[in-house]
Amino acid sequence: MQEATFMILTALANGSQHGYGIITDVEEISGGRVRLRPGTLYTALDRLRADELIEVDREEIVDGRLRRYYRLTPAGTKRLSAEAARLQAHATAALTRLKLAGGTAT
Amino acid sequence: MTNQANLERGYRRLLAWYPPAFRRDHGEELLAVLMAYAPDGQRRPGLAASADLIRSGLWMRLRPSVPRSAPTVRAAVRLMYAGAAVTTLSLIITIISLAFIGSGWGSLRLFGHSQPLPVVITVGIMGGLILIGLWLWMARANGQGRNWARILSTVLFGLATLHLSNNTGAVEWVFAVVTWLVGLAVVWLLWRPSSNAFFNPQGLTRAGQSEQQSPRSN
Repeated sequence: MQEATFMILTALANGSQHGYGIITDVEEISGGRVRLRPGTLYTALDRLRADELIEVDREEIVDGRLRRYYRLTPAGTKRLSAEAARLQAHATAALTRLKLAGGTAT
Repeated sequence: MTNQANLERGYRRLLAWYPPAFRRDHGEELLAVLMAYAPDGQRRPGLAASADLIRSGLWMRLRPSVPRSAPTVRAAVRLMYAGAAVTTLSLIITIISLAFIGSGWGSLRLFGHSQPLPVVITVGIMGGLILIGLWLWMARANGQGRNWARILSTVLFGLATLHLSNNTGAVEWVFAVVTWLVGLAVVWLLWRPSSNAFFNPQGLTRAGQSEQQSPRSN
């Protein structure tokens, strides 16, 4: 799974969000490191929707502009948990080996 | 005109790079995000934002849009692109060999008559380009779930089968057989039961259910 995809799914993990909400949330989660561009975001959202990992939750009109909210599907939740577990296992392995090697794992 | 209206016009122009279906479903939504994303007081789309939209729009136009839930159709679409690649290779090799072999003769037989080499090469290139175009067109249309494309692909495969014995040279034969096998795999994949749902999401499930239920209810 690409990092952007992982971050988008993470942004949707505890509730629905609209496009711009996802961008700001991903920026926050990544500590300002990842700032998705709108075009890139919508390419990813389109793919995730086609793969049935996310779905449209609701639509709102705010200041005359359309906002569409997305949420994870059960398959999306499953996929994100599996990916998070995999990344955690890798991180744990890395930290354990660094400790064994006498390095400082922070 | 205000900065805001100017900027919006610029973004709308850039959205033209996206496929019409995407613009219809998500154009206004994406425009709202773009306007929110732009820094205050910006008058026209920035270079990076423009590049992002052009790249994303082109990618959406070109990529196969088949979801993971339809693996047989995904495989069929990939094979059709492979078919286009093989046909391109075959066209290049045919042209090169014609140029080498034919240059001594000055003319070759085509449509039952002796024709000057440039005519033969031109006809060959045109035919090759049409075949490549057909592969790409079918890949695209099938990838979009068009049922007529599935039927037309099958018809084209039938025509290719009839045409198979017309190939003369050894190299021609190899390419014809390879592309025919690709076509066979494509047609087989397109008509697998797991492909049906993709080509007719509601209709076929309903038809399938009623077919299963009707014998019992009768």
